[in-house]
Amino acid sequence: MKAIIISLLLSGFIMAQQVVELKQPNASKMVVKFMFKNGSICDPQGKEGLTYTTSQVINNGGTAELTYSDIQSKIYPMASRYSVLVDKEAVTFTFQFHKDWIDEFYPIMMGLITNPSFSQADFERVKNNQQAYVDQVIRASSDEEYSKKAMEDFLFRGTNYQHMVEGNSASVSAITLEDVKAHYKDFFTRNNFMIGIAGNYPESFIEKLKTDLANLPDIRPAIPTAPAIQMPDGIDVEIISKDGAFGSAIFTGYPLNITRTDDEFAALMVANSYLGEHRKSYSKLYKVIREERSMNYGDYSYIEWYHNGGGNMLPPSGVPRQSNYFAVWIRPVQIAKQLKMQYEELKDVNVGHAHFAIRMALREMDKMIKNGLSQADFEATRAFLQSYIRLYIKNPDQQLGYLMDSRRYGRENYIEELGALLSTLTLEDVNNAINKYFQIDNMKITIVTDVSEAEPLAESLKNNLPSSMSYSDLVKAGLSEEILSEDAATENFKLNVKSVTIVDSKDTFK
Amino acid sequence: MMFVEINAGDQNILPYPIHQYKLANGLNVVTVPFDSPGLAAFYIVVSVGSRNEVEPGVTGFAHFFEHMMFRGTDKYPREKYTEVLKMTGAGANANTSLDRTIYHMTGNVDYLEKMFELESDRFMNLNYPEHDFKVEAGAVKGEYTKNFANPYQRLYESLVNTAFDVHTYKHTTMGFFEDIVDMPNQYEYSKIFFDRYYRPEYSTVVVVGDVIAEKVNALAEKYFNNWKPGDYTVQIPVEPEQNEKRAIHLPDGSIPPFMSLNYKGPSFSDSKIDMAALDVLSTILFSQNSELYKKLVVEEQKLRFLGGGAMNTRDPYLINIQASFISKDDFQYVRDEISNAINDIRTNGVSQKILEETKSNLKYSFAMSIDNPDVIANSLCQFIYLTGDPEALNRFYSLYDKVTEDDIKMVANKFFNDNRLTIATISEDEKGGVE
Repeated sequence: MKAIIISLLLSGFIMAQQVVELKQPNASKMVVKFMFKNGSICDPQGKEGLTYTTSQVINNGGTAELTYSDIQSKIYPMASRYSVLVDKEAVTFTFQFHKDWIDEFYPIMMGLITNPSFSQADFERVKNNQQAYVDQVIRASSDEEYSKKAMEDFLFRGTNYQHMVEGNSASVSAITLEDVKAHYKDFFTRNNFMIGIAGNYPESFIEKLKTDLANLPDIRPAIPTAPAIQMPDGIDVEIISKDGAFGSAIFTGYPLNITRTDDEFAALMVANSYLGEHRKSYSKLYKVIREERSMNYGDYSYIEWYHNGGGNMLPPSGVPRQSNYFAVWIRPVQIAKQLKMQYEELKDVNVGHAHFAIRMALREMDKMIKNGLSQADFEATRAFLQSYIRLYIKNPDQQLGYLMDSRRYGRENYIEELGALLSTLTLEDVNNAINKYFQIDNMKITIVTDVSEAEPLAESLKNNLPSSMSYSDLVKAGLSEEILSEDAATENFKLNVKSVTIVDSKDTFK
Repeated sequence: MMFVEINAGDQNILPYPIHQYKLANGLNVVTVPFDSPGLAAFYIVVSVGSRNEVEPGVTGFAHFFEHMMFRGTDKYPREKYTEVLKMTGAGANANTSLDRTIYHMTGNVDYLEKMFELESDRFMNLNYPEHDFKVEAGAVKGEYTKNFANPYQRLYESLVNTAFDVHTYKHTTMGFFEDIVDMPNQYEYSKIFFDRYYRPEYSTVVVVGDVIAEKVNALAEKYFNNWKPGDYTVQIPVEPEQNEKRAIHLPDGSIPPFMSLNYKGPSFSDSKIDMAALDVLSTILFSQNSELYKKLVVEEQKLRFLGGGAMNTRDPYLINIQASFISKDDFQYVRDEISNAINDIRTNGVSQKILEETKSNLKYSFAMSIDNPDVIANSLCQFIYLTGDPEALNRFYSLYDKVTEDDIKMVANKFFNDNRLTIATISEDEKGGVE
């Protein structure tokens, strides 16, 4: 059995270092994490992306003793690996290595964290890739990730949460190596981080870690607070018009004044799972949009940030956030141009499925708000979560990561505590949470779509025009009365749209 | 039992025993007990993928059929199936590739019997309404639509279409778009497809986690005993030898310039040295520790990324080398540098030191990866669909120990031949222009 020990060790200096330990006597692998409590919210104005650059130069650079290529040579036979995850309020370095190599790998790990070389060449290499990401890759590689990042830009406009952690075109180009060095000194300090260790390690390993980490700068950084944003007044839509988009990718969001810190989060989790559990077919949004109508690949809702939803089936650790929001993710739906090409009978359609899909999602949510969950739905969803949350921590990396995140939310062990909270929950708790936190009248919506779709879709949304669902004849012939009557109610469902703006893809993340 | 004594040459790479049990109908049941308290991974791997799509007009069908497997039976119609699956709290899904389809549920071991019941029911008694079939095709189109936003995906689709002439690897697992649009018309074919492949001789049950083999075997007997074997064998067209260099270009300036070099490779084998030697060679040539990577990515900064290797497949597929560029003007330079590095090994071989370090790297990479039941189940599934036997995992890793300098030279000469090459590029130009 794995023993979990969480301790607060005195570093011997003026401050206390937080150490989270996960003893695994049978493990052959070790995982060490350094979580710095600064993230992209610490980026200076005009240098957005600097925390990311700094972290990446450490992760992809050398140490005082070894160049990046030297490090690659040394760790090659060990197959050790390390990576960094940068979010709004955290930077987490994760080192994974086999216990056979603990002595050989330790100085490399420590050199990277406490004594990075910050060479000009490493900096240029990292910055060039970062620039390509903000200039090109985010716009061109996945419309759904694009719509998600653009929605954050829209929702948090004017705050330190607005910019992508990678920054934007102008700010990245303004970042210099001197900025990186100064940012490291000011923010990656010994007063500003948490250590996590999992595996079968000797006690002396921790002692050595503590001593060596005292070499980090002794500065107490001024970490800005996460923004408290106003609830939007009505629904504001931003349509990003992109040449050659194949579908319409949709993301919505509105601020949510609750996090894992609050016990009530468990109740909201049940409600959200019922409405739109990530990548699961059990939930309402998936059922009505994908399963019954096959409008796209999937539809989900979120009550906290979900990192890389396109790639992850389970929520990764390392992204603790204080400024939270509710989101609906509607994966790309068909546009008129494509429908016309595919089906003769749809040659006259003017707008694709985006407007209908948004109506369908919000109407489904509205039903949940008005009716609440039934006792049976509550029981089933709670039972699902009670088992499912165990999968979040099925490997040591995530187990350790979730323990460390727990501390950021003022908890000891979030998954354990969540299990306990779920077990004492009542239907009334869930329905109260729905009434308190869920609504459909105020939000930001971002849609990435083709140039040909942008104008007609904007008109349709702006004027609340009816948006009948355009099925192919083949599918239409077999639709049940129930589906058809739901469709009729959905196509005229009034959305509280206040503004619709079309933005050229070239003008995003400038 | 948990320790990975990696340096002992005579020991299995998987430090846990693999239990195998064969039902009378031919269904193989594989169990690996693993220290994951309360948790079990339940997998079924079916040896059917886009490789099996031999008839015209049905490319993408293996993947589409994977979607249909969630559309219910008489006992568990779609809604009931979803409801029971939800109750188990398992992470359940499926995915399809060139050679196989994998269905998986990972969750609370207390529900293992329920998982067996649900899976055996749909594998034996799948029965969906025709309308559901037509509707589900739209979700596949949605999946294609999401993927198509990515230029690399678009290039990959053209690449395999160019590199292969007759083998079914010519189309991607998603299939050609016109076939996807036509899917709703293929209801009758879907019944034939199920009848052919969803049979015990094409399938293997794999259970990893907090379980014992006896219990798993008993459940398999209880739930899969009545599954009738079939008699279908597919004839896959044999790809003729490629005799000249080919090229495909995607004009697209929206992402950094990209080039991939694709040599025809070998099929997987756990007894012939070729694939194991190729893994060692491509790790030496293209990993972050390689001379090429250090030169082109780190020092000269011509590339943003370099990587490459052969995929383990039933039939000969592609050795794929990928490079992301700062400037398209370096396409030819990088192509030549890669050729020079390969030629150097053809002639001069590699040092004993790098050979040993690479073997160490491959073994430690695997040892570090097996930290949860899903990783182990997925690994076993791979070797099952490649060879029919999960022990092939251990055999293949022991082959790495046998790779010699001469083997490295041999595969460098045998496979990296320009007549077997397809060059794929993306840049803002109308043509790729790489020789």
